[in-house]
This record gives sequence, structure tokens and C-alpha cells, in this order.
Amino acid sequence: MGFLDNSSVTVDAILTKKGRELLAQGRDKFQITQFALADDEVDYELWNPAHSLGTDYYGIVIENMPVIEAITDENYAMKYKLLSLPKTTARLPYIQVSPSSLTLNEGANNSVIAVTTKNGGNENLGYTAILLNSDAGSITGNSGVPGNVTPIVNVSSYNTAQSQTVVGKNQFTFVSAANLPNDTAITTRIVIIGNETGGRTEIDVTVNPVTDAQTTVVNVVSPA
Amino acid sequence: MPIQPIDPNGGGTGAGAGFNSGTGGGGSTGNNGPSILGSLGAGGGASTGIPQVSVASLSANDVVQDATPVIPAGAYDFGTGKVFTAFTIEDVVEGSTQRVTRGLWSGNVGELTSFWTSSYQSSTQKQYYYEIYNGDPTVSTNYAQFSIAYGHYAGSGSLGANEDSPSNAIYSQFQQVLLPASQRRFSFGGVNQDDVYVVTINRERIKDKLDPGNWELCISGSNGRVVRLVDDSGDTNQLGNSNQNVYNIVSGSLLNGVYNTTEIFGAVYPQFGVIVLGAAGLDASASLGTIRTTNTDAQNHGKLFTAISGAAHDNAGNGFQARSEEEVKSTFFFVRAKNAEYNFSNNPSYVTGSNGKLLQQTFVGDPKTYITTVGLYNNDNELLAIAKLSKPLLKSFSNEILIKVKLDF
Repeated sequence: MGFLDNSSVTVDAILTKKGRELLAQGRDKFQITQFALADDEVDYELWNPAHSLGTDYYGIVIENMPVIEAITDENYAMKYKLLSLPKTTARLPYIQVSPSSLTLNEGANNSVIAVTTKNGGNENLGYTAILLNSDAGSITGNSGVPGNVTPIVNVSSYNTAQSQTVVGKNQFTFVSAANLPNDTAITTRIVIIGNETGGRTEIDVTVNPVTDAQTTVVNVVSPA
Repeated sequence: MPIQPIDPNGGGTGAGAGFNSGTGGGGSTGNNGPSILGSLGAGGGASTGIPQVSVASLSANDVVQDATPVIPAGAYDFGTGKVFTAFTIEDVVEGSTQRVTRGLWSGNVGELTSFWTSSYQSSTQKQYYYEIYNGDPTVSTNYAQFSIAYGHYAGSGSLGANEDSPSNAIYSQFQQVLLPASQRRFSFGGVNQDDVYVVTINRERIKDKLDPGNWELCISGSNGRVVRLVDDSGDTNQLGNSNQNVYNIVSGSLLNGVYNTTEIFGAVYPQFGVIVLGAAGLDASASLGTIRTTNTDAQNHGKLFTAISGAAHDNAGNGFQARSEEEVKSTFFFVRAKNAEYNFSNNPSYVTGSNGKLLQQTFVGDPKTYITTVGLYNNDNELLAIAKLSKPLLKSFSNEILIKVKLDF
């Protein structure tokens, strides 16, 4: 008679940058209230139902895979969250955005991003949008869902590549920076995450500087 | 109370927990209140073909009727999805404190055998102290470990006169920090010390404090003799009784314990990470040759540096051994994924095509996922901490997972 495996899974957690930031503001600001699970490094194409040794070995390649260490940037961790759905679900909810990429000039130009979820979901809790580089501009979400906006701390005349997080019901507005740092184009991304389904999609954003010649033309045309 | 079955036709038990028709949206469960998402205001969901009942309504009936109903597999209703699970009071255990000791030196090394002074110090700084590195200071992977200084209450052994001398400044500085307000002189074994050597360990090395009873400093003397110094706390086995702020320094070794308790060489202040040694005692035991001439830059601290590095140079077993001590406060989070939870993934490899269809047909009706990461969030869905499993953990409708997450502060 053998022994049953009574080992439990125990893991050490590390603080993310956001966690350190909130902890530095005091324990009352650092309140862990919920958890989520993710499988960022798993490739389900490795699941092999044709394995010659049978069902126990369908996922053997995945199960033997070493897991890489945690990263502290909360914007890049937990990319692919696990979710709970009815057992016989055959099609998963996924997020669609329009437009799928943005290219704007500096000077506080707007672009509206519409967000929907196919196969249902996120109608009530809406979406979270993360602008990864706030030097490129700022983002706001439409109302109708609970949540808050993470404030940006201005360390100088520019925000030095901090991220900005907002929530919205189904629409976000990106406004390009009035003046780009160093007059060079910025390429960044907006990450949209469903607050119910955990699904995510990304939008490439490019903000270009306006040359002196362009500025001159605008100044000439405006009085007319 | 025994477990009671539910009427699958919708009658339910007690207050009326029942299933919907199985063909409609996930949000409604008869007249029994909101689903898991319903409590957050969520609405309908995908058609499942299986009669569904909300966990919330089951829990409510369980409390009211003291009867946990039996439901068919897969009948939980998560509507259009759930990615976050709130911790309950039982899931979080706070306040565990653990005493952690490590090797004191960079890289948690327990014994320092290579001692380098730094040319980065200015000549003025070197009149006060030497900063000791664990290797060539010009190599970026080597770091300052500790400093050595010499102090004389009247300023002897250094340039300047009266109060205007480095040795006087050093003596006064450590007397101010380490001694009670009423005491102006260091005194070891009842003998006042006119001058002292100070070994002060970098804060980054000691963590919370130098681990008492677990350090040994070797000083080379004349005729190849080595003076081994330890403290008299006697706490080599971590009995936890070393809470004093000062201990006598006596001759002895970590291997064999204290040799002689009557000859006091100095005092160690663990919380400060400072070792103070009487110059007269070292002169007598280790022939250090301290120079006490006034207005002379005698570089006495260089003599102690030579004696420490010389001991280790002659025999690698004569290095500076020490441990740091740190109190780590931990909070444990018990992450429970029930059988009906977290069996689907937003991983792009989980689906195929552009309409969310599952990639693996064997997952239809029997979905499986692999957990690799646990994220701890606040109410604003901000990721505050993250934990990784050592290997992917299979999750399906036929198993439940309990993961204990430890978060240190």
C-alpha cells in the first residue's frame, strides 16, 4: 500500500510595480481583495489527443513544461486570464475594437475607439483600457460602469512613459499629446481588457510630430 | 443535515432554488435571486443546454434551509463569464512573522575572505575611514561590505588638534549613537577606552540586524598568531533570546564557542551592525601597534584592515564570518478554484478562427485549462502581486485546486 500525495501547492508572490506604489502610500491603500488565474505561457496547440499512450498523456508536454518567473510590470503580466463559463460553452467571448490601430498627429487630436464583445459579455462591467505610454497622449472612457481612473503623476513637463488606466462602458477616447517630447514620433499601445470575460486586445498607436512647415500652413489657413 | 436533491423541474427545495429551462440565458435562475454575475449586475449568457442554477441562490438556500442541494455536473451558471473571485475572511491569514537569517555578505555569502580598499575614496575620507569591498571596486559586481575607522577621545592618531581631528570626530560620533547620554567614554570590562576601532557593516548587508552569536572576526597578530573574536550572546542555535542591544566581544570561535569570558575586547551592537574594539586590547593581543601621537595622520584604521585581511590571506578559514537577520512578515492567501470555475481560457491558442470556436474539439463539453499564474488584485482590478507555479496545473470540471500564496512584506 502506497502513500497518497499530501503535498499542497505553495507559491511565493512578488509585488508588482503598482503593488509597491500602493504599499508605499500606506497599508490602507494596499488591499488585496480578489484573485484571478492565468496561463500566459501555455500553448494549447500542444494538447495532443492523438497521443499513442492515451488520455493521460494528451497534455503531458504542457504539464512537463517549466514555468518562467514572474515579472513585476502589471501591464504585461496576467495577459491571458482563465474564466468560468457554463460547461458546454463551445464559443468563447472575444473583444473587438474599431479602429484596430490609430495614427494621429500631436496637438490634442481625438480618436474614438468602440469596443464590443462577441459571443456575449462585458455589458455590465464594461472594459478597462491601459495606455502604455502617457507621453503619447491621454485616454478616457465613457460612463455607465463602476470603476476609477488611475491618476498620472506628473514628474516634469512630460509624464515620462507612465501608463494610464481607465474604465469605460463600451467606448474610449484617445487624445494625442499637445506637444511630443523631443519632437519625435511615439509608438505605443492601448490594451483593452473585458472586466467580465478577462479577454483582451491591443491597439497600436502612433503619434507623429507636426513639422514647422505644417504648423506654418495651419497658421496661414486659419484666418481664412 | 443530509444533502437533499433538487427537483430538476424547477420546484427546488425550501425557498425554491430551481433550474431554468436550460435553453435560455445564463443570468436568470427562476425567482431565486441573482447569479454570481447577477450580484454584480450581469445579465444573460450563452446557451448551454444544461439546466443551470446560480451559486448565489444555492448558497442562500444552504443558509436558510441548512440543506446543500445536489445539482448536475456543469449546472453552475456563470453567465457570460467570471475572471475574479473575491477572498473571504477564511482565505486570508495575516500576521505570520518569521525570523530569516542569511550569510551577511553580498550574494548571501557567509564568509568574506577577500578585502579591498577603494581608490574612489578621497584622501580626506581616508583620514576618517576605509571602505572595504569584497573585490576590486572598479568591477561593477563588487560592492562595499563594511568600513573600518579609528577613534580617539582626544583626537590623537590623526591630523588636527583638539576637537578638529578625524579620530576625535569618529570617537564622538559613535559615542553619541551607541552609548547612553550619560556615558562619554566606551568602557569594556570596567576599563575606560581612550581609543577604539570601529567596524561598521553596511546597512544593505545587515538587513534588520547583525545576527548575534553567529559572527567571527579574525585578526592576525605577531608570530603568526590569530586572535579570533566572537560575542558572548551564546545564541548560536537561534534560541531567540538575543534581544539585547549590546554584547561583549570575547575570544572564541563559531566552531568551539567562547574561550575566555573575562577578557573583554569590545562590544557589538547588532541593531546598528557595529563592532567596537578597544585599541589597547588589540595592541596587547594582536600587536596592532596603534600610534597615538597628536596631529599625525597615523592611519591606524589601516592597521586593523591589514590585520583582518592578513589573517584571511594566510588562511582562507580565517575570513570574516557573519550572518544577517531579518524579520519577515507574511500573509497567506488561500486561492480556491472550485470544480466549475476557471475551466476556460482567454489564451489565443485556446480558440481557432475568428469566432471564438474552441481549438481542441475534446474540450467541448469537457474543457481543460492549465494554471501557471496567480494574480492578486484590489477592488479596482489592479494587479498588486503575482505568483507563479513551478509547473502548469491542470484544471477541469472534475477537479478543484487549492493554492497557498505567500506574500512577504
